[in-house]
Amino acid sequence: MNTFIRWIGIAVVAFIAAPLLIVVPMSFSTAASLQFPPPGWGWQYYQAYFSDPSWLRPTWNSVFIAAMNTLLTMALVVPATFALVRHKFWGKSAANLMMMMPMAVPHIVMAIGYYSYFGELKLVHSKLGVILAHTCLSVPITFLVLSANLKGFDRTLERAARSLGATPRQVFLHITLPILRPGLLISALFAFIQSFDETVVAIFISGRNAETLPRKMFDSIREEADPVIAVISTLLFAIVFAGLIAPSVIKLIRRMTAKTAQQR
Amino acid sequence: MGFKLSTLPDRQNIWPWLLLAPLAIYLALFFLVPLVEVGIMSVTEPPPGLANYERVLTGSLYRKVFLNTFGTALLVTVCCLLVGYPLAYLMSTVSKRAAMAILLLITMSFWTSFLVRTYAWMVLLGNNGPVIWLMQTLGIQDPPPLLFTRFSSTLAMVHILAPYMIMNIYTVMQKIDPSLIRSAESMGAYGRSLFRHVYLPLTAPGIANGSVLVFVICLGFYVTPVLLGSPREQMAAGLIGNQIEQFLAFGLGSAMAIVLLVVTLIILGLYHRRFGLDKLYG
Amino acid sequence: MSSYLQLSGVNKTFGNFTALGHIDLEIEKGEFVTFLGPSGSGKTTTLMVIAGFEDATRGEITVDGQSLSHLAPQERNIGIVFQNYALFPHKTAAENVYFPLQMRKVGKKAGLKKAEEMLELVGLSGFAHRLPKELSGGQQQRVALARALVFEPDLLLLDEPLGALDKNLREQMQIEIKRIQKRLGVTTIFVTHDQTEAMSMSDRIVVFSDGAIEQADAPLEIYHRPATRFVADFIGESNLLPATITDAGTRRATSPVLGDVTFGAEGCPQVSDGQTVDLLIRPEHLKLSRDPKEGRQNAQMQIETIVNYGDNAVVIGHASDQQIRVRVPGADVVILKEGDTCHFSWTEDAVFVLTE
Repeated sequence: MNTFIRWIGIAVVAFIAAPLLIVVPMSFSTAASLQFPPPGWGWQYYQAYFSDPSWLRPTWNSVFIAAMNTLLTMALVVPATFALVRHKFWGKSAANLMMMMPMAVPHIVMAIGYYSYFGELKLVHSKLGVILAHTCLSVPITFLVLSANLKGFDRTLERAARSLGATPRQVFLHITLPILRPGLLISALFAFIQSFDETVVAIFISGRNAETLPRKMFDSIREEADPVIAVISTLLFAIVFAGLIAPSVIKLIRRMTAKTAQQR
Repeated sequence: MGFKLSTLPDRQNIWPWLLLAPLAIYLALFFLVPLVEVGIMSVTEPPPGLANYERVLTGSLYRKVFLNTFGTALLVTVCCLLVGYPLAYLMSTVSKRAAMAILLLITMSFWTSFLVRTYAWMVLLGNNGPVIWLMQTLGIQDPPPLLFTRFSSTLAMVHILAPYMIMNIYTVMQKIDPSLIRSAESMGAYGRSLFRHVYLPLTAPGIANGSVLVFVICLGFYVTPVLLGSPREQMAAGLIGNQIEQFLAFGLGSAMAIVLLVVTLIILGLYHRRFGLDKLYG
Repeated sequence: MSSYLQLSGVNKTFGNFTALGHIDLEIEKGEFVTFLGPSGSGKTTTLMVIAGFEDATRGEITVDGQSLSHLAPQERNIGIVFQNYALFPHKTAAENVYFPLQMRKVGKKAGLKKAEEMLELVGLSGFAHRLPKELSGGQQQRVALARALVFEPDLLLLDEPLGALDKNLREQMQIEIKRIQKRLGVTTIFVTHDQTEAMSMSDRIVVFSDGAIEQADAPLEIYHRPATRFVADFIGESNLLPATITDAGTRRATSPVLGDVTFGAEGCPQVSDGQTVDLLIRPEHLKLSRDPKEGRQNAQMQIETIVNYGDNAVVIGHASDQQIRVRVPGADVVILKEGDTCHFSWTEDAVFVLTE
């Protein structure tokens, strides 16, 4: 029984890993279209990506939109999370539900809504429009991450700080904020990624002016399957990989430096 | 700065609302209004009335698409479960290091954009791709086309959504106290009966969470079915996109969107009453 | 107006629930006072009211004649050690201790120096640069204590600070806290539900029950002359036996269990003939024997259980449906058997009368 499950498990691991791994060799291919095994190896599509404004512009658009989205989302969600986690008030469960709603609505539904609504507001084809839309979609995940952090915060620490002479403002700046910093960073990262990856709403409202990277990739995959996509996929994949193993690498380096410090 | 949060009752009541107000106003303006607008368009464009809904609910094309959407979502959910459960079980039994490695792979997959993973399947299953190449090398003449079929889009969706299922099941499995299993064994439960009477009920919440999540995401899935699926077997989101992009049929598209939304909300609503929505994505 | 800390008529209600009835209490400067009581008895609420985290519904608190009522917690100059220590996880031990000085605008260099001196006083020199998570429970406890004392507070409040420590460490910390408190002479309130802790550390014990003070007295006073049934029962082990006063003048009473009894402990309250009272005899004041003992008052009981503690043992028996506990030296246990009938005896000065 157990060896059977083990083999299934290994098959599933292969199933999950294969697509992630296949794009890497494809990005170094010299073929003009998808071809396996590649006829030759080279950097040409990396050069193509880094020199082609029709790819670079959407990349910067996406970074800009995601960054603005992150700032706006945090500015709105942080105070709201404090209200929802730390206070009891009438209408609290309704407010909680409201925070989660954007996650429950399929993006295609919102895409139509934004297409028409932002058309009236003259916000279609503008970065501002995409930022405003993405901020709504980023609220639930940011709230979930942050509220989990805030719920785990021991409020006796704040009482202790008060008893030691800190005003509520000082408590917030010296105690609450520094302790919550990792949680704030992680929720901001979630907001950023939510926007950076969002495809459906961007396809419908970003237009040429505010074209995001996912929109450009979507169009490109649909129309011509440009091998540059393999380059972008590899780069995005490398960023995710680096982001995920970074904490353990940092820990390893710290441990090694601590050890050499001890030896001295 | 002499104010005390816990001691001024009137302040205590207004304070959370002040903190909440900016977000509430924002969501009302940029989330609720566009959503309501979809509802309004569905009954006013072009003819005022329920004609759009009549078409969506009775027209054979639309019925076929909705049935196909449900069928696909169900199939994807079942496949995710079949793929995810054994892997989650394996992760909870192997050494910690191996479990961490698998977890790293799954998180990596989870964090990689839907588009990238969709594209990867395109590479894998394409006419000049490794799978076809392998089949030809093994001597299969005229291998069937894999890409742009129901097979390719389903496979890719299973791949994309499996991490949700695995994470949910693995989380509950990890919390199962091993002594519980040992005590069940000591009472004579083993093999299949141990699984049915002990393990399955204990992991049921994870299965429920994962399944609802996968099913609901799949219902509204746009990118992967549009890029990898057969144009003749569209799913709801793809058809809605078509109506808007190609035919500018906002009324019809909106009516379909509302139907999709209502179905999604009913499923999530049932889930919410049973477990609470915030648990779903936790 | 002579006392240092004064609580007058302090009352606290949450909606319909009365957490504190009407608390009057005076504490002298430099005194070590313990609030003792079961959980929910109001001892922690009283502490929180003094600290300013809860506002009293009615009543007033003064320190050195100055009212605290309109001062926010940070303006009260009160040091608190919390149950879970509440050390700031992102600050080192020294930075934790420096924090109250930082809030009082003490420069970083001078402040950190003072913080390290304080850490030395609590026996933690060399741990200044560790984060709380790198310290053991007892060490965290010491940091919390140093932090609560470094700014020379008018009052030190300790909220069940030893609850999380194991038995040996607890005893060590009891001695340590007492030593530091004596050395600095800071007025201290210590909250606990552990009566041995209260007994060993306090100048005075305040016993709480149901949001009211049952008794406030020196430890031995409380032990030997409890004011109420609750105190007698809560502090130490006790045999509480219902009785009726037959002659107040000659201090005689009759009890269904003990028969006719002369009571004579020091400090017994005033009673009158015919009054129903409870007689308190501590288990260690009873003796067991096969036959009645000359010169002592005697009664009979049947032994039910013997609980051995090594150096001593508790014998639990029955005398006309009333449970009797007797504490005997460990060596005496060998001659006793469960099920035996024997005599227990006492002298009149071991019998204390409770009227409330």
